[in-house]
Amino acid sequence: MENKNLKYYFLLLLLVALCSCKGKEKYHSITDKIEAKQKPYHGNLSSEELLADTDLITVKEGEFTFLIPERKGQIKSFACIECHSKPLEQMSSFDGKRAHWDIKLNHANSETMNCATCHSPDNMNNLKTLTDQNVDFNLSYKVCAQCHSSQFEDWKGGAHGKKVAGWAPPRASMTCVNCHNPHNPSFETRWPVQFNTQTELERIEDLDH
Amino acid sequence: MSDNKKWYTLDLGLNKKTESSGSCGCGKTQGGCSSHKEIEKEEELSPEDFYEAAINASIGEERTRDGFEQVFDVKMDRRTAFKKLTASLLIGAGAISSCTSVVQDADGKEKAQIDWEEQFKGNYKLMTDEEKQGTVDRLMRSYELRTGKNISMTAENAEEDVLFGYAFNISKCQGYMNCVSACVEENNQDRNSEMQYIRIHEMKDGEGFKFDKADDNYYHEVPKEDHFYMGTQCFHCDNPPCVEVCPVQATWKEDDGLVVIDYDWCVGCRYCMAACPYDGRRFNWSKPEVPEAEVNKNQHYLGNRMRKKGVMEKCTFCVQRSRKGKNPACVEACPTGARIFGNLLDPKSTIRWVLENKKVFRLKEDLGTDPKFWYFMD
Repeated sequence: MENKNLKYYFLLLLLVALCSCKGKEKYHSITDKIEAKQKPYHGNLSSEELLADTDLITVKEGEFTFLIPERKGQIKSFACIECHSKPLEQMSSFDGKRAHWDIKLNHANSETMNCATCHSPDNMNNLKTLTDQNVDFNLSYKVCAQCHSSQFEDWKGGAHGKKVAGWAPPRASMTCVNCHNPHNPSFETRWPVQFNTQTELERIEDLDH
Repeated sequence: MSDNKKWYTLDLGLNKKTESSGSCGCGKTQGGCSSHKEIEKEEELSPEDFYEAAINASIGEERTRDGFEQVFDVKMDRRTAFKKLTASLLIGAGAISSCTSVVQDADGKEKAQIDWEEQFKGNYKLMTDEEKQGTVDRLMRSYELRTGKNISMTAENAEEDVLFGYAFNISKCQGYMNCVSACVEENNQDRNSEMQYIRIHEMKDGEGFKFDKADDNYYHEVPKEDHFYMGTQCFHCDNPPCVEVCPVQATWKEDDGLVVIDYDWCVGCRYCMAACPYDGRRFNWSKPEVPEAEVNKNQHYLGNRMRKKGVMEKCTFCVQRSRKGKNPACVEACPTGARIFGNLLDPKSTIRWVLENKKVFRLKEDLGTDPKFWYFMD
């Protein structure tokens, strides 16, 4: 009699065990699954074709190597020395039309930054760091990273900033100046691009939940 | 059985004996036998046999048979047989009259032939690659016959070693809603009902996530002071409740983690809509309409192809784009870089860096749905 009961219990236990894991996957959470199945992607998909039309340069920052858009070709009046042929002091006396009339610096405050924080009067074709090291215009993120170090970390890893083209390797990220105007880096407020009139109607008729 | 594994069943390695115990012992093939019989049987059945019998009683032969067989090769009583016969005669009469009529031209006949084959095709997830290509070809031809315009539709399967995941930066989103309109344009959503997969919730700082107090249809300059924005859409759960409840298995999770719908298999019961804890699913109450000039012609069978009235749809992480290596339309449209998409299995992907280095969370994690959509802050 006792034996028979035991058999029932065993059967029940087995059934419970069978039913408790549903689905054919044996992972208890998505993190387990990722851990178990992860491997560097070398599949058929690639972003190369999507990136073909974009002029890109490779940057290597710490453990990260990725592509960013080339910049110098995008700056309308590059190279700077084509106009800046004389030292600044001599040019400031020039009383014709001013070249950079549209640039108003709205980046930090004047105690912290002025034109010369990033631009060097002696070397117009390059940017400069706080310690007067030259930085190529293509690698302008190095100038930004001096102050915005946490954003820089996030950008390197891929948490900050937009990507160019697709998710598949090779990775291409926008660089700082592709989204932020360096002279006025914050985003403006603006209107949303769309408004759902149907939802609004439902709301008026009190149909939404 | 083992060579016929195209769908998600309860598979614990015990299915080898399937064929030996075809039905559940009570003689019925449909509807299941009453429960007391099962208990009587339990004494002499091994757990495997019992398990098989239980499965057979509930879904039975549908496990091994596909569309046509499911419809026609069914044991039934006379009454049901007559009922079905009458119905199919009516359909048949209609089809024959349209495809054999002398007044109809070749195009009309081809259209009728396509409609016939589409009507009786099987469930997409059970199709072989050739069958998938077949239905895609038919749908493209059918569109051409109806509108005179060509579309390109594909049926790419999930790529190996890919599991799609998504991260959303709530400190970056400014509420511009570029993602919402890009999604509508990309996925051919109904313009009349203004269906949208993505919702951007405007929430007040310091009050936490209160979806009932949030506004998802604001219209004023954004970002509004003292507010933050978070987007919701289908989270492509790894343990999706919507898939569990579908009575016809018209929705399922693909190997790359996308939860997809076969619009031609969906019966429109909206169980999935009720089961989804995130309001991720949408229903076509009317025939979806998109002006011909605005139709996105790069389509995928499981993605943005034109839907019909009475079926469910939802975000597919733009399957027609993501399976070609592109980012979904919302990611591409976002002007703030708040949306990050990638391959969770690739340790070098940016999404993995976000998951490992930022403080991420998911919505309603306690439900055990395991969404593949994470939120994070700077």
